[in-house]
Amino acid sequence: MTQEAVVSGIDSGVVATRAGASPTWLASRRRAAWEAFSTLPWPSSLRDEDWRRTDIAKLDPLRFDPDAGVSTELDSVIAATHDDIAAVAPDAAVIVCDHTGRVQLHNCDALTAQGVIVCSLSEAATRHRELVEQAFDTLPAGQQPLTALWNSLWRDGCFVYVPPSVAANQPVWVIHAAADDRTATFPATCCVLDANASLTLVELHVSPATAQAELLSDTVSHVVLNRNARLDYCVLQDLGQGVWHMATHRVSLEADAHLHFFGATLGSKLQKAYWEALLNGNGAEAHLAGIALAGDRQHLDHQSLQAHKGTDTTSRLLLKTAVRDHARSVYDGLIDVGRTAQRTDAYVQNRNLILSPDAKADSIPRLEIRAHDVRCGHGAAAGPVDDEQRFYLMARGIPAEIADRIIVRGFFEDALGQAPCPEFAALLGPLLDRRLDRILHIGRQES
Amino acid sequence: MPDPAMLLDVAGLHATIDSKEILKGVDMRIPHGEIHALMGPNGSGKSTLAYALTGHPKYQITAGSATLKGTDLLPLTADLRAQLGVFLSFQHPTAIPGVTMVNFLRAAMRSQGKELSAREFLTRLTYEMAELKMDESFRSRYINDGFSGGEKKRAEILQMALLQPQLAILDEPDSGLDVDALRIVADGVRRAVEGSAGKMGVLLITHYNRILEYLRPDTVHIFSAGRVVASGGPSLAKEIEAMGYEGLLGEVAPVSASA
Repeated sequence: MTQEAVVSGIDSGVVATRAGASPTWLASRRRAAWEAFSTLPWPSSLRDEDWRRTDIAKLDPLRFDPDAGVSTELDSVIAATHDDIAAVAPDAAVIVCDHTGRVQLHNCDALTAQGVIVCSLSEAATRHRELVEQAFDTLPAGQQPLTALWNSLWRDGCFVYVPPSVAANQPVWVIHAAADDRTATFPATCCVLDANASLTLVELHVSPATAQAELLSDTVSHVVLNRNARLDYCVLQDLGQGVWHMATHRVSLEADAHLHFFGATLGSKLQKAYWEALLNGNGAEAHLAGIALAGDRQHLDHQSLQAHKGTDTTSRLLLKTAVRDHARSVYDGLIDVGRTAQRTDAYVQNRNLILSPDAKADSIPRLEIRAHDVRCGHGAAAGPVDDEQRFYLMARGIPAEIADRIIVRGFFEDALGQAPCPEFAALLGPLLDRRLDRILHIGRQES
Repeated sequence: MPDPAMLLDVAGLHATIDSKEILKGVDMRIPHGEIHALMGPNGSGKSTLAYALTGHPKYQITAGSATLKGTDLLPLTADLRAQLGVFLSFQHPTAIPGVTMVNFLRAAMRSQGKELSAREFLTRLTYEMAELKMDESFRSRYINDGFSGGEKKRAEILQMALLQPQLAILDEPDSGLDVDALRIVADGVRRAVEGSAGKMGVLLITHYNRILEYLRPDTVHIFSAGRVVASGGPSLAKEIEAMGYEGLLGEVAPVSASA
């Protein structure tokens, strides 16, 4: 007789263990979040506006294993990603985090010498409680199920603090790696820039490319930019084809702070990602751009928020997506201008390229304006590859699928040009080409 | 029967767009190394002939044949026709934002099995661009994006020069050009013909005699209502300029032309 492997799931016992290992303030936060998770209804595409076009009724988070251990798959995806970073940014500080809660720091000495704090988030929760709490307080722990789940269960993650008037002399690259069927991973990124500080932060979410392993990835990034701080922030989501990815990247900006954010979404089976800039201080500026590419039956949902509270704030968002096969993109973007946010200048734009008849893209940019002296706008478009563009390339001998790849790359180009970190762009370029080849079914010999 | 010795052999070609017949029995033969001009009133179907020969998917061929050195072009998609050596200089080249000229040109040469090393390619490109008096910034500009009319025409000729086709179909390469630009474009065409050691043929669609004075076509075809109605020497172009199509077509009895 064979015995089925018993995989532990998520329950209050796991939360109790996590709380037991946390400082008091964090332990009570975990318990409160679990309490909220237990009472909040699971997102419903019938009831919740946020989830109307993204149905996760079939996702039962509790059956995933929050205590999954180390495996060769995990270590090999970490090593490969580390190599990719070394190829484009050999001088970068690298923080490797994984689903087991391991946090490894590489090449952080120069930053530490500047007074920059780089450590695991659990260490920061004990030694730099005020900073972590300042960041955590920007996002209510128990308001919606997925962030509540994250707040109760995150194992560990990375913490970066840049002191006042320090320009970090190295970019910080964070690898969030996960692997193996039925693993639940809760990647955590927490970053605080003090007044007049600056930093480049790159966050890579990776797992083995296989569709065989079904994982739950539930991540939250808390970022705080104090007065006149400047952050260049890039996020890559390149998870395997069996991953449910639920992400919140929230950046709070105080007066005159500047954010340049770039997101690239290539992986996962289903993603719901919140990209949020809270422009609280007067004169804050947030530039967000991104690309997303989906094939097969991938479902990629991006929901952006440009929330203006301070006066004289500026925000821009450009998301370009290309979908093929039966893939679907959902984009919902809100510019929310508060009553106090006079002289807001904001624009949100989403463009979609539909590469095959069964692929689909929904685009809902929205404005909610309560101040009277503002300049705001939005744009959205979706369409197939232009026949005349394709014919022009084919008339030069270029086969149809290569022509399409060239056109899609061209379509992404203006968004890619906004990636604030050239090393990240260098890492993304070949990755994007390989993914396009796969999605467009282009053989290696032709590329 | 198609003549394999003939570079281009078009016989009885009919084509429709949205089930409207535009080409109504085109006959035309272009031997290796010859320049043929195609003139005719607006709307007579000259551009349609160019698209039909290069494989634009919007046009359906309903009858007739078109062969390049004996190879049937009609079953082939546009990319395969280009790989055989058919080139189209577009009357209105489309812009492709985000794709640089240099990347595009390399991809095109690679697709045609004419790939050069990066260094050889840049040398060639620099040379051809200098001949066409094109600014170096062209390389990194996006395909036809924000190009002036004259820049677009030169960019088309640049592509022809690099790809060295067997047959170049040039759809009004002279429209909208001033005298100096016209001479540069015409010189580019002549250089390509001469550089091909008498092999490349040209089908030059134009409204103007001026480019013909530079290029001295071997044959001039008059196109009207979807077919070639008259063919003759360069003097035919001068008669058109003097009399207009109406005057000429009223006089010349339609003929089924062949070279």
